[in-house]
Amino acid sequence: MLLAVLIANSEGNILVERFNGVPAEERLHWRSFLVKLGADNLRGVKNEELLVANHKSVYIVYTVLGDVSIFVVGKDEYDELALSEAIFVITSALKDVCGKPPTERLFLDKYGKICLCLDEIVWKGLLENTDKDRIKRLIRLKPPTEF
Amino acid sequence: MAQPLVKKDDDRDEEADYSPFLGIEKGAVLQEARVFNDPQLDARRCSQVITKLLYLLNQGETFTKFEATEVFFAVTKLFQSRDIGLRRMVYLMIKELSPCADEVIIVTSSLMKDMNSRTDMYRANAIRVLCRITDGTLLTQIERYLKQAIVDKNPVVASAALVSGIHLLQTTPEIVKRWSNEVQEAVQSRAALVQFHALALLHQIRQNDRLAVSKLVTSLTKGSVRSPLAQCLLIRYTSQVIRESGVNTQTGDRPFYDYLEGCLRHKAEMVIFEAARAITELSNVTTRELTPAITVLQLFLSSSKPVLRFAAVRTLNKVAMTHPMAVTNCNIDMESLISDQNRSIATLAITTLLKTGNESSVDRLMKQITSFMSDIADEFKIVVVEAIRSLCLKFPLKYRSLMNFLSSILREEGGFEFKKAIVDSIVILIRDIPDAKESGLLHLCEFIEDCEFTYLSTQILHFLGNEGPKTSDPSKYIRYIYNRVILENATVRASAVSTLAKFGAMIDSLKPRIFVLLRRCLFDTDDEVRDRATLYLNTLGDGSVSETDKDVKEFLFGSLDVPLTNMETSLKNYIQDPTEEPFDINSVPKEVKSQPLAEKKAPGKKPTGLGAPPSAPTSTDDAYERLLSSIPEFASFGKLFKSSAPVELTESETEYAVNVVKHIFDRHVVFQYNCTNTIPEQLLENVTVIVDASEAEEFSEVGTKPLRSLPYDTPAQTFVAFEKPEGVPAVGKFSNMLRFTVKEVDPSTGEAEDDGVEDEYQLEDFEVAAADYILKVGVSNFKNAWESMGADSERIDEYGLGPRESLTEAVNAVINLLGMQPCEGTEVVPSNSRSHTCLLSGVYIGNMKVLVRLSFGIDGTKEVAMKLAVRSEDENVSDAIHEIVASG
Repeated sequence: MLLAVLIANSEGNILVERFNGVPAEERLHWRSFLVKLGADNLRGVKNEELLVANHKSVYIVYTVLGDVSIFVVGKDEYDELALSEAIFVITSALKDVCGKPPTERLFLDKYGKICLCLDEIVWKGLLENTDKDRIKRLIRLKPPTEF
Repeated sequence: MAQPLVKKDDDRDEEADYSPFLGIEKGAVLQEARVFNDPQLDARRCSQVITKLLYLLNQGETFTKFEATEVFFAVTKLFQSRDIGLRRMVYLMIKELSPCADEVIIVTSSLMKDMNSRTDMYRANAIRVLCRITDGTLLTQIERYLKQAIVDKNPVVASAALVSGIHLLQTTPEIVKRWSNEVQEAVQSRAALVQFHALALLHQIRQNDRLAVSKLVTSLTKGSVRSPLAQCLLIRYTSQVIRESGVNTQTGDRPFYDYLEGCLRHKAEMVIFEAARAITELSNVTTRELTPAITVLQLFLSSSKPVLRFAAVRTLNKVAMTHPMAVTNCNIDMESLISDQNRSIATLAITTLLKTGNESSVDRLMKQITSFMSDIADEFKIVVVEAIRSLCLKFPLKYRSLMNFLSSILREEGGFEFKKAIVDSIVILIRDIPDAKESGLLHLCEFIEDCEFTYLSTQILHFLGNEGPKTSDPSKYIRYIYNRVILENATVRASAVSTLAKFGAMIDSLKPRIFVLLRRCLFDTDDEVRDRATLYLNTLGDGSVSETDKDVKEFLFGSLDVPLTNMETSLKNYIQDPTEEPFDINSVPKEVKSQPLAEKKAPGKKPTGLGAPPSAPTSTDDAYERLLSSIPEFASFGKLFKSSAPVELTESETEYAVNVVKHIFDRHVVFQYNCTNTIPEQLLENVTVIVDASEAEEFSEVGTKPLRSLPYDTPAQTFVAFEKPEGVPAVGKFSNMLRFTVKEVDPSTGEAEDDGVEDEYQLEDFEVAAADYILKVGVSNFKNAWESMGADSERIDEYGLGPRESLTEAVNAVINLLGMQPCEGTEVVPSNSRSHTCLLSGVYIGNMKVLVRLSFGIDGTKEVAMKLAVRSEDENVSDAIHEIVASG
């Protein structure tokens, strides 16, 4: 299960958070944990360079892209490698929508499209689409090109 | 003053003071949502408002029931618009609002229409939305469409239906299971993602049917699975089949191993890694099987991608626990990871190296770690401290450098958990390595001179009181203890007073001087400190009432024979009802209450504490002893000799999880069955285990202690006791049946029904073996211990162990058979060696020390021969060890 996708700005304010199968009372805890993890480790990290951590059987892969930091959390079959696949899809979709690694402003300008992308990528904790070109078409309700 | 006019660089400067959502406010956005009701819809404006609503929801804003309904109804109006972008937003918005059942009806017709639309993308999205908001009743109506969608030629439609199926399987499995044929067809799809989703769903549908899973794996491992993600799933399912089928005993081959090995050459890293990990996790994996997997993992160690490095080092870390020698080839690559920027990787590398390192590399490793420790977070430091503790127990002769390392990090900055891990480690090392005692105690003394944690200071003072008086020069510790009385807070001062009293009680020569110090404590500002000082002065014989020496020691060193939680509850109750009667400690119940599961299955409970150490350095044996002595039926059995590790009697993920701990006494054995009820809708009562001991002739049942109630997820114990001939290591096999009364529980109220039904549940058998009568007790210097034991009791014989997979396997087999403690790291056999000597030490029932020297040799045909030399305090024990080996 892909437990969470969280996107924050450089000050640690949440821009997007999508939890799956995480009880409401634990979400706040996760949010602050991830933001702290980012604050401790993401300084000076290059765009899209992946960082990874685990706690017992839960894995976390995170990175920065422009002004935003992106965290994905998973367990079971969503281990560090599957998560790195997921975060790769997310970063490429973001770059695609924004045209470049986004500034916070640009990210917010494209907020609606970004939500649609995330909706295509992760559906209730399962990875659904992994190809950025296909996602780009799907959010405009266009069928995939290979079809 | 006016700002100088600067040319604005596209959006750079604007964004600092302007965000599109600046000052966004829920009420205003809800007002704006009225545009959804306009007869002439402005698609662009509507999309913007939906975006704002999404932003609010993503910020954790909640809508009241009224607001949500209002927005939901307004959004449904947008189905009238033909704007594609807006329609896509509408789908997302409905999912995010997740309307309640009575509202869903409003959109179902629109969604059903979209589901039959000729536009594929409407179909796909409508399926996703419907499955998100629907319940079982609606599902039967749309089932036909979903089945068609699964085999739709548009991969997006097929995937939407399949992923919906995976979710619906949780709520309405009976319906989704009917789609098997369609899903089976989708597994053959040419579209990679469809195949991935179909495989996941098919496996979930069939997961309880072993034969079907096995067939699925057999057919797919032959064919071509296109997507790497699906390939990873297949590898997982394959290893599950391997686990359940075992090795082919005739050829020695493992089914599907070739498939796994083939995947190591796949082009996708994800697949290679999955296969490598599957191989390392095979049960009883041989070196031959392991080698190719280790080789690819070693390559990953130097990958430029941090995730791959992390995955590889994490897997190797696990392998190192069971096959340290297999990992030694990667040591050089691993050493370079110590300086990895990602601290998780560096820590895993260090702890792996600590597991695979040999005695000669310890010092070099410690140097590297010292420089590394200063720049990692506390939770990583704790992991390293624990690894060092195990290393020290493995190589006791190296205690000096390891203990010095621990004491040096103890002086550095750090939080409570970190300091506690170090203190716990030093305490354990002092207990297990006698030579380390004096230096260890001094390190602890120095630590409490400048310790900011009251808990740790009192814990150390307590330990010092027990161990300090037994050292060669106890007086040197007094200074540190009395400093606490002068410098610390009341809790620590009181602890220090107790510790001083312990020194006084144990060492007569120190007594007069201790009296002087205790008398000074009579003027302390704190009541508890003064009370303790008065009490100890009197008990130790300075006052009018003096106790006998035995009573004093019993009083000072004896443990409280009631569980602390019970004591606390009783005291609270006592205070609540004011009474003239004094509190009677005998009124405190001695039964240990069952504890709820310490670790909840839900993730993220406490993500910061990466594997905190046990709360206090009391061993599990102490806890068992206390538990058993608190049960009146077993209190007369005398001293507990040994408690085994828990043996699982059920498979994981069954309705009831049961394991057994075997407690060995001189004339009795007690089986402690730890039971967990994993069904929320059930309450079990009167739980007992019916034990059939017909294959254990020397044992006769003498008593059972049933468990009154076993609620969901709250482990508790039931016991069965047997008598056996005194001092004899009787062996036998026991069959077990769990018997109980089961009552239905209403999940909403948590209340159980009054009437229950009797039921039984078959458990696995287990054995009491010779190894259960030998305690694992290490010696720090085997040579000295061996020579001091004398040659009189020595018994030597030679044995043929027959053909074996490897020398390691033979060595482990004998270690497990005897259940003794390997000394000086000799349980590790260097790779490719043809002979090996293994040293074991232990205590045999009757408190007889026994040492064993095993010499193994392996020839070209893998025949293993063994020479067994035993020395013991009693030659009969030496003979007994030979008997165990001869009959094993």
